[in-house]
Amino acid sequence: MKTRSILFMAGLLIASAVHAKDVLITNGRIITMGPAGIIESGNVLVRDGKIVAVGQQVTAANAEIVDANGGFVTPGFFDSGTQIGLGDVESSTIRTDQRVRETDLGAGFPIALTFDRNSIEIPIVRIEGVTRAIVRPSAGSKVFAGQSAIIQMSGSEATIVDRSNAVFALLGEGSRSLAGGSRAKALLDVVDGLNEALAYSKNRRAFEARKLRDLRQSPLDLEALIPIVEGKKPLAIVANKASDIELILENLEPFKLKLVIVGGAEAWQVAPLLADRQVPVVLNPLRNLPSNFDQLASSLSSAAKLVEAGVMVAFMTEEQTSEFRSLTQGAGVAVANGLAWQDALDAITINPAVIWGIEKDYGTLEPGMDADVVIWDGDPLEVMSAPTAVMIEGAFVDLRSRQTLLRDRYAELEGNEMPFGYR
Amino acid sequence: MISRRLQLTCLTLAIFCLDASALDAPFASTYQPPPSPERVIANVRILIGNGEEIERGSVRIREGRIVEVTPGSVAPPAPGIVIDGEGKWLTPGIIDVHSHLGVYPSPGYSPHSDGNESTAPVTAEVWAEHSVWPQDPQFPLALAGGVTSLQILPGSANLIGGRSVVLKNVSARTVHDMKFPGAPHGLKMACGENPKRVYGTQGRLPTTRMGNIAATRAAWISADEYRQQWQSYQDKKAHFESGEPDKDKEEDKEKDPPEPPVRNLQLETLAAVLDGEIRVHNHCYRADEMALMIEIAQEFGYKIASFQHAVESYKIADLLRDEGICSAMWADWGRFKLESFDAIEENIALVEKAGACAIVHSDSATDVQRLNQEAAKALAAGRRMGLSISEAQAMRWLTLNAAQSLGIDELTGSVETGKMADLVLWDGNPFSVYTRAEKVLIDGVLVFDRTTGLLPSTDFELGTGAGR
Repeated sequence: MKTRSILFMAGLLIASAVHAKDVLITNGRIITMGPAGIIESGNVLVRDGKIVAVGQQVTAANAEIVDANGGFVTPGFFDSGTQIGLGDVESSTIRTDQRVRETDLGAGFPIALTFDRNSIEIPIVRIEGVTRAIVRPSAGSKVFAGQSAIIQMSGSEATIVDRSNAVFALLGEGSRSLAGGSRAKALLDVVDGLNEALAYSKNRRAFEARKLRDLRQSPLDLEALIPIVEGKKPLAIVANKASDIELILENLEPFKLKLVIVGGAEAWQVAPLLADRQVPVVLNPLRNLPSNFDQLASSLSSAAKLVEAGVMVAFMTEEQTSEFRSLTQGAGVAVANGLAWQDALDAITINPAVIWGIEKDYGTLEPGMDADVVIWDGDPLEVMSAPTAVMIEGAFVDLRSRQTLLRDRYAELEGNEMPFGYR
Repeated sequence: MISRRLQLTCLTLAIFCLDASALDAPFASTYQPPPSPERVIANVRILIGNGEEIERGSVRIREGRIVEVTPGSVAPPAPGIVIDGEGKWLTPGIIDVHSHLGVYPSPGYSPHSDGNESTAPVTAEVWAEHSVWPQDPQFPLALAGGVTSLQILPGSANLIGGRSVVLKNVSARTVHDMKFPGAPHGLKMACGENPKRVYGTQGRLPTTRMGNIAATRAAWISADEYRQQWQSYQDKKAHFESGEPDKDKEEDKEKDPPEPPVRNLQLETLAAVLDGEIRVHNHCYRADEMALMIEIAQEFGYKIASFQHAVESYKIADLLRDEGICSAMWADWGRFKLESFDAIEENIALVEKAGACAIVHSDSATDVQRLNQEAAKALAAGRRMGLSISEAQAMRWLTLNAAQSLGIDELTGSVETGKMADLVLWDGNPFSVYTRAEKVLIDGVLVFDRTTGLLPSTDFELGTGAGR
């Protein structure tokens, strides 16, 4: 049986396991991420994909018991910037569906339509304790890149949690070629695009009757922007330069958006403004190079400085999922550079839950939450730690991946009579 | 060209040996560390770099060299500035064998992105050091991560990209003030996707892997001919200068000295590889392609010092051990190209298990700042699959193994007497994500000290807010 179908079948079995026995995780050092804080020697009871009880006294009759052996127990972690599932190999020869070129499609481009829940990347990433992610489009020919999706990593039909959770846009140096050569025009495209969406949402009938002024965006784009201008879904803008962030905040102020700054290499320099406007920042905590003139002030202590100023921060790996461990490693490095350990955990659990609008179901280990639970063999942010068990919406996932299969085939090089292909 | 005998003599004596004839050679190292006081790093946990460790000991540094490594507590130490190592760890300086710092600097714009001379598939005539911008802000960032030496290579657009150079990670105005004294040059070779993609889009050889191999072999054939021409010339010149009559001819002796062959920079570099003076570092991902590159090396009589990236080394680790070829690898990077599709977290550990030379490299200006953490990930992955690897042995992947592949292991790469005092004092276990380098010494000079904020800044950082 081909390896991909083994893992696919495992996904189906896991999905059906949701309706099986209760699961009681015992003897864990539980990082609840809620008001209960850290519960030493605690238990977590899971039923039908949800957490029903957390605490030292929690017991259950007729449950499958899983002993955490005193290890840390955390929510599954959330990576706020990936392209998981859009192509099994990151190279532009193979993964090409994440952007569209030479078309009129902008905000209306839904990345969920190219998402593969059977991607070999999903098992690879989830065994590292990451159970949720934003899958985001790349900008192709418009400043508005399209709509991102939220996924969980079961690989089952439930994998896509939200098919269109936010609209992404690109500003700053990278946007120039999308907007006639100047980032100023790119910002105008965003302002203009939002104004068009407002006009369209208030005058749909006139638009259909061709009695509205000509709009540059297509109906697909306009429809996608309506929840944005209504403040129901976030507008995530990729921008790094301090002056660009100031201009974005100033020019989008009239719109009453749920604005998120993504990238934010120099965001720490305008932290008070971001805190005042309650604009969260999604960043890659491993980024600190002055890679271009938009990111000169990039720094490993960015996260610490933003949090200190009262800005909500979430972490992402930025499509570097080929570096399998970077989310927790990045969080650990942020701690080494001034961020509190608990704040680093917030950035990969409850903060992304709030920023991306799923805080009712995910982000803490509390009754009523989706049972994304990970048991660790050490501090979850330590590079030498790894999960010993990963549960997604109540079902433990297979800890095998394509990589473990390759490892096992070549674990013993000596003393074999038959070719490796038989292993 | 420096003579092999003199080079070997210098390395054997393990002294600062500015090769006499190399002083005449162009682009020789002009590196001179400033004077530094005698120092003792006391009561510190030492990972020696050769696979051994001293749980608690002291290291004395004098005139830029390690002069004593003593197990046990020291109280109070003899003369010299004392650095208290209580609760801290000491390791050799990290050596990154795959770096493009300086040739692909930050900020990354084409006017100074000079790592790939992608105008022909074989450009052995170019030297990476001639593209290095010493004011690249990435250098001090790597220093703060404990990196004391780096091999700067041309990129992998070409089958043969040019000479690499080993640099000391020091603040300098010119690249030759950074050049590691006594380090041989390397030659960058590449197999696989990159060269055939670059030249394939131009519709020229190579556009396939078989084209890669053919063009590579053709280059070595030319090099072999060139080398023979020069050897023949040297022989004739020696005969001419000896003044002996040519016994086959009737005249007393030849009237005119022999004409040297036309000098060709490309073939000169390749001939130096065949003479064993330049070490080959071969970018290659797939196991089957590594086997082909070994065949070519055997065909032309040169040795491959290391395969770089070597994502599939775990599949042929026994072969690599038998050939004595090092693998410079990532802890967990893969699947960004088809030839890295089979990357596994246990690659480094499995190479170690087979008894082959394992190195952790970065090929990244971000990862270079945390090579100790990369080694930690590889160590943990190996242990989880049941392999018994010590921390002391894992440190070897960043230090002595790296030094061996570069031909500088007599000079640096371990905390042993006689070697250059290239050292890092860590504020905790270097395999923890929370640990940072506290102090870095290069040739005994304190070049980085986190506690006092001592860190050089490149000119680019002044007034731009970059690099901090």
